[in-house]
Amino acid sequence: MGYRAQNLLSMLKAMTPTLLGLLGVLILALPLRLFEDALPTPIIPLVVVFFWSIYSPDYLPSPSIFVIGILQDLLMGGPLGLWAAVYLVTQYIVSSQRAYFLGREQKVVWLGFALAAAAASLMLWLVMSLMSGALLPVGALAAQITATVLIYPLFGAAFRELHSRVLVEA
Amino acid sequence: MEYLGRDRREGLGRKANSRVLLVILILVSVFLLLSSLYSAQASVFKKAREGVLDAAEPALELFSGPISYVNGLIGYVRDYFSVLEQNEALRQENAELRQWMNEALELRTVVAGFEGLQSYQAPPAAQPVDAYIIGEANDAFARSMIINAGRRKNIETGQAVVDADGMIGRIVHTGANASRVLLLTDVQSRVPVFIEGAGVEGILVGRTRARPAISIVETSEDVEVLPGQRVLTSGAGGILPRGLPIGLVEQGAGDDINVDLYANYARTRMVRVINFEFPAVTEETGAFVDDAQEGADVGADEPDPAAGG
Repeated sequence: MGYRAQNLLSMLKAMTPTLLGLLGVLILALPLRLFEDALPTPIIPLVVVFFWSIYSPDYLPSPSIFVIGILQDLLMGGPLGLWAAVYLVTQYIVSSQRAYFLGREQKVVWLGFALAAAAASLMLWLVMSLMSGALLPVGALAAQITATVLIYPLFGAAFRELHSRVLVEA
Repeated sequence: MEYLGRDRREGLGRKANSRVLLVILILVSVFLLLSSLYSAQASVFKKAREGVLDAAEPALELFSGPISYVNGLIGYVRDYFSVLEQNEALRQENAELRQWMNEALELRTVVAGFEGLQSYQAPPAAQPVDAYIIGEANDAFARSMIINAGRRKNIETGQAVVDADGMIGRIVHTGANASRVLLLTDVQSRVPVFIEGAGVEGILVGRTRARPAISIVETSEDVEVLPGQRVLTSGAGGILPRGLPIGLVEQGAGDDINVDLYANYARTRMVRVINFEFPAVTEETGAFVDDAQEGADVGADEPDPAAGG
């Protein structure tokens, strides 16, 4: 393999988490309507942000997270900066607890994700309620966060394989 | 088996991420959030939203086709199991509709008679634009959809969007080839409506729940609203045409008048944008003129979904 191709490949590897986050945003914008809207679309960018903030923040620097969040705000039509703030605060919280999570069992990390998701949704609800001047119903948000937490083991395992086999090694 | 992060010291040894940059970016986001409260109509934000809509349009269109195909297949299989009941229901509906058809035919002759009178001046007809839903905000609080038609098809902010059952929302952002529809259930949605039979005008207010509520604008006397009465757009404000069907008044629970929407957002696939130009009367001629600019101006005063209440 030529030097240039290798360079390109390593750049692509470095960008993979960011691209996955952007893909997650695109999935959020698709009319999936799982089981006629009975199952809300999970917030995959939150999983991406959580996972790489713990295991390898180098692969997902804060400007990348900012871009992912801003894109989600623009595409969803919500207030600009909301999701960017939610993801960045998640990264801040997670990176302050990194020492605890590193090398722990996946069950523990899953619980940590559930807590981080709950914190993120609380923030989301507070800001949206403040902005609309009314206490908004929490049902839809709770359902979406639950769906996100439930799919974490699946995506966590996939990201773990991807990270350890493709991105870091070889 | 636990590979990642096993060597903790190595993972923590490097100063992995610049904490300062992270805090700065959080502050930037919060600043954006606050400024979008006050300047949601700022052209920079608007341009960014429209640009993203246009940029995402090809990707959304690419994926939404297969998705709706699969959803259609699932629906097809489900219908297969309930085909007898559906057949019976359709037969009943057909009989009912045949009666309505007779009534409509009679009314048509009556209306034609009135239109033959000399003083009658037909209001300008709406020019609908058909489009597909290619995107949807799967967000707990932002309720909107993205359609694959934009400025190139003369779609403008403020226009009503209907599907086969009734109104689903209004256009809030228009890109060149894609537009965003703010659904009636969104917190930012405000649509002037009237309740047929009750003779009351009000504003339909979205609350992120499945059923938006009506707040009555003026009450000179007690209004009696009965469950099952039809709710239609009132056309007040001159952006939406009058009489688009929205839903039925729900069985009353408390003080709120909730509306059971005709539209089923989980099934909406094809929509129609009502390109309605409000008839304006000029002082010189006293005749109707098509004043697109006026409609656009009123539309610009509409609250942006990002603006906050």
